[in-house]
Amino acid sequence: MVLRAGYFLKRALRNMRQSPVLSLASVATIAVALALLAFFAIAVLNVQQLTASWGETLAIVAYLDDVPDDKIVKGWVDDIESYPEVAKVTFVSRNAAFERFRKRLGDDADLIEGLGPEVLPASLEISFADDWRNEAAIASVVERLRKDHRFNDLQYGQGWLEKLEAFLLLLRVSGSALGGFLIFAALVIVANTIKLTLYVRQDELEAMAMVGGTSLFIKLPYLVEGALQGLLGGVTALGLSFLVFQVVLQKSLGSLLLITGIDTIHFLPPVWQGMLVVGGSLIGLLGSLFALRKFVRFGSS
Amino acid sequence: MIQLFNVCKAYQRDQNALSDVTLKIEKGEFVYLTGPSGAGKSTLLKLLYCAERPTRGQILVNGRNITRYGAARIPYLRRNLGIIFQDFKLLIRRTVFENVAFPLEVQGRKRFEISKKVYQTLKNVGLEHRLNYYPLQLSGGEQQRVAVARALVVDPLILLADEPTGNLDPEVTLDIMELFKSANARGTTIIMATHNRNLIQQFPRRIVSLAAGSIALDDWPQFRSPAGLTGRP
Repeated sequence: MVLRAGYFLKRALRNMRQSPVLSLASVATIAVALALLAFFAIAVLNVQQLTASWGETLAIVAYLDDVPDDKIVKGWVDDIESYPEVAKVTFVSRNAAFERFRKRLGDDADLIEGLGPEVLPASLEISFADDWRNEAAIASVVERLRKDHRFNDLQYGQGWLEKLEAFLLLLRVSGSALGGFLIFAALVIVANTIKLTLYVRQDELEAMAMVGGTSLFIKLPYLVEGALQGLLGGVTALGLSFLVFQVVLQKSLGSLLLITGIDTIHFLPPVWQGMLVVGGSLIGLLGSLFALRKFVRFGSS
Repeated sequence: MIQLFNVCKAYQRDQNALSDVTLKIEKGEFVYLTGPSGAGKSTLLKLLYCAERPTRGQILVNGRNITRYGAARIPYLRRNLGIIFQDFKLLIRRTVFENVAFPLEVQGRKRFEISKKVYQTLKNVGLEHRLNYYPLQLSGGEQQRVAVARALVVDPLILLADEPTGNLDPEVTLDIMELFKSANARGTTIIMATHNRNLIQQFPRRIVSLAAGSIALDDWPQFRSPAGLTGRP
């Protein structure tokens, strides 16, 4: 059978040449479904990267009512840095906080004209190690700091963190659901399109069965045809999504997206690109398989 | 070669297409299946190539009981059969050569072997000059000759022909019959369904006549006068 792979490939290509419109319909269906999936994947990927970068800025800020001398502060910093969750503790003096505030105001810095650093409290900024940037770890550190009684005013954006995690979960769940739906829809449409090509070639299937073609011999060219159409659909989807990524996302919407804090938009990583093409082939193959199930019969019972 | 024992086939309850048919056909025989439309001729042929299964009874082909053959074994049975239909059933998107080569491709024969065999067979049916034509570019008689070549290219043990000359004019019918005769002379068992009485007169062979699904006559017309033949159903 392996030696005859060329024969089946040739027959599959010939079938496609003989029914170009139906073949194109199958390729286009797979391409559109996979391109939609690819666009959604690009969106999910970039939102995930954006939220991950937001996550990097996650920190607990412990405001200090009174500023102890440097030696005591150093002791506190060392204490907190010894927590496994904590990556770094930075002491921000009143002066540093005031300076930072002034810079953030930019052209409106004159609003705080006449005010001194004493209006802002000093603080300890506690940032987290990569593996501990999650709600549970932050809550655990907050609890330990509260028990300490030295830090009463702790801020860590709890509500925001919960919303972020819920949003990410929603994104993953809806992404999976939409992806599953798109793949299923593509599968059904491809199966039906291939079924149409089989109706056109019913005489051929019948003749094959009459001269002693085995089920596999009869089906294989159609399976190869389905896989090839899927492959073409996958490659087209990849090309289409790359084109949209280049023309729309990077050039037209690039400056708009910058406002939301997205400075770089990422395309699908190579593994995902490969999965798109292989996925296309699989959809084509499965579509053919479903369509052929009821077509190749050797006679009524 | 072929034995049917009390074979019944009902497509619907209480409506037998074949009733209690018992028949024996020896190797190398040429048998006409005759009878009016709906007598069961095509059903009997379909049972022999397993397109239909008998409701009751047993069928032996070449010593094997094919009655309960599963889908996986049917292709191998058909590789020993040549099947010809009234409407030719050629692949219209394939050339004459490809149509005839098709059964050999199915059997996985080598390419050079296929080319040689197809050319020889097409020469035998007088179509070697039409190798690259498509079926729809040929006359009805030529199309049927392609179908005969496709059936004979595998050197079948048995040739089953269902009204093969039904759509052809008398001259072409004689050509086709000559092809069948020479295949039969080479040892192929032939079962041909027809209701062309003239043909049977011109090429007298054993007749199995069906009426309402039963064998009404099983006879050897070469021992009868032509007048006697035409007087039978």
